[in-house]
Amino acid sequence: MIVEGSYPLPGSPDVIWDLLMDPDVLAKVMPGTKALSRTAPDRYEGTMGVGIGPITAAEFELTITLTDLQRPASYTMQIDGKGRFGFTRGTANVELASEGVGTVMRYRADLQVGGKIAGLGQRLLDSVSRMLTRQGLDALNRELTARLT
Amino acid sequence: MKPPPFEYYRPSSLEGALTLLAEREEAKPLAGGQSLIPAMNFRLAAPAMLVDLNDLGELAGITAAGAGIRIGAMTRHSAVERDRRIAERAPLLWETMPHIAHPQIRNRGTVGGSLAHADPAAELPAVMVAVEATVLLRSTRGERRVPAAEFFTGLFRTALLPGELVTAIEIPPLPPRTGWAFEEFARRHGDYALVGVAVLVTLDGGGRCERARIALLSVGDGPVLATRAMGTLQDSDLDASVIREAAERGARDDIEPPSDIHASEAYRRQLTRVLTRRALTRAVARAREASR
Repeated sequence: MIVEGSYPLPGSPDVIWDLLMDPDVLAKVMPGTKALSRTAPDRYEGTMGVGIGPITAAEFELTITLTDLQRPASYTMQIDGKGRFGFTRGTANVELASEGVGTVMRYRADLQVGGKIAGLGQRLLDSVSRMLTRQGLDALNRELTARLT
Repeated sequence: MKPPPFEYYRPSSLEGALTLLAEREEAKPLAGGQSLIPAMNFRLAAPAMLVDLNDLGELAGITAAGAGIRIGAMTRHSAVERDRRIAERAPLLWETMPHIAHPQIRNRGTVGGSLAHADPAAELPAVMVAVEATVLLRSTRGERRVPAAEFFTGLFRTALLPGELVTAIEIPPLPPRTGWAFEEFARRHGDYALVGVAVLVTLDGGGRCERARIALLSVGDGPVLATRAMGTLQDSDLDASVIREAAERGARDDIEPPSDIHASEAYRRQLTRVLTRRALTRAVARAREASR
């Protein structure tokens, strides 16, 4: 499954970069995050719970490893998540480019989803991942706006 | 498979059901159970408590409401499908009913349940948006009336507040000189449609488009009103080229369809183009027939 898009954010790439590397900020903006901590300089581990409609929020363990860090322009995340309803793993690329007074964030994730959730929820995976991505970016936008004013 | 344990209540009055739902926030209403029970059996859903609405006769049934029609939330799909008054007063809904899942599911599934569930591939939400129905909601705090277009707020999300139930849906009378059509495509009949479209077209006295409503399903987070396609039709003579242009506009600009193993985004756009054109062509022919 490919999730990609771009999102305009206020502030310079440097400011946004610092936020994206801050586990406290990530825990706040990533939908359903219950805990998130940095366990190594380039590694985050956490617990998330995501429920959609009638589906009870299921907890899953998430590990994110950062590679190819090109501050403040781009980085890659190796994503590995496991839970009762299935698993997800893959990579996500993030690019930050200054545009006018703000920054445009471009993202592209290539994720494999398996287990029960993939078998039963296949037709909804794309819509759900888009919705979660949008929620996360909107939350990041709010966080940035609050910090810049 | 078996569901995880849950408490079960089967109140005999609407007031009793609303009180239970108000007191216990973990309570989940059970209507026909055609979506909730499979989700529980697969253990994707695990509500701690169910409030079974199947003894609430006051919520079931179809009644005339002025020149329109009112359908109680617990009315089964099969009852709607077989009611002559629906055929006469809400022909778009009538035409849609056989497309919903399978007869066995329609025997049990309810109109209110389908609306409250708000599956993006469901037929009824799109039809209710197309016909500008009003959803009636009740809680211990009172009654609310919400236009269908405002009721559906996202993926499996509605305007329902905690403790609130859908009690009925009201469909306004079909305006004069109006035609309708429903089209959908599924790989097997009864499967979730890859794309569906519900259309109403009303002509003015001179045979031009006074008003058009196009609602799509399975191409977004919920029912999608194709406002740009509708704008293309407005005040036009509704000839084949305008219909083609409107369908093109809808497929290109009104939707952001998902990609999955069943259909790519591009294929869903193509289906939207073709099905919208077919539905509009049939609806316009019916509107012309009704204008004679």
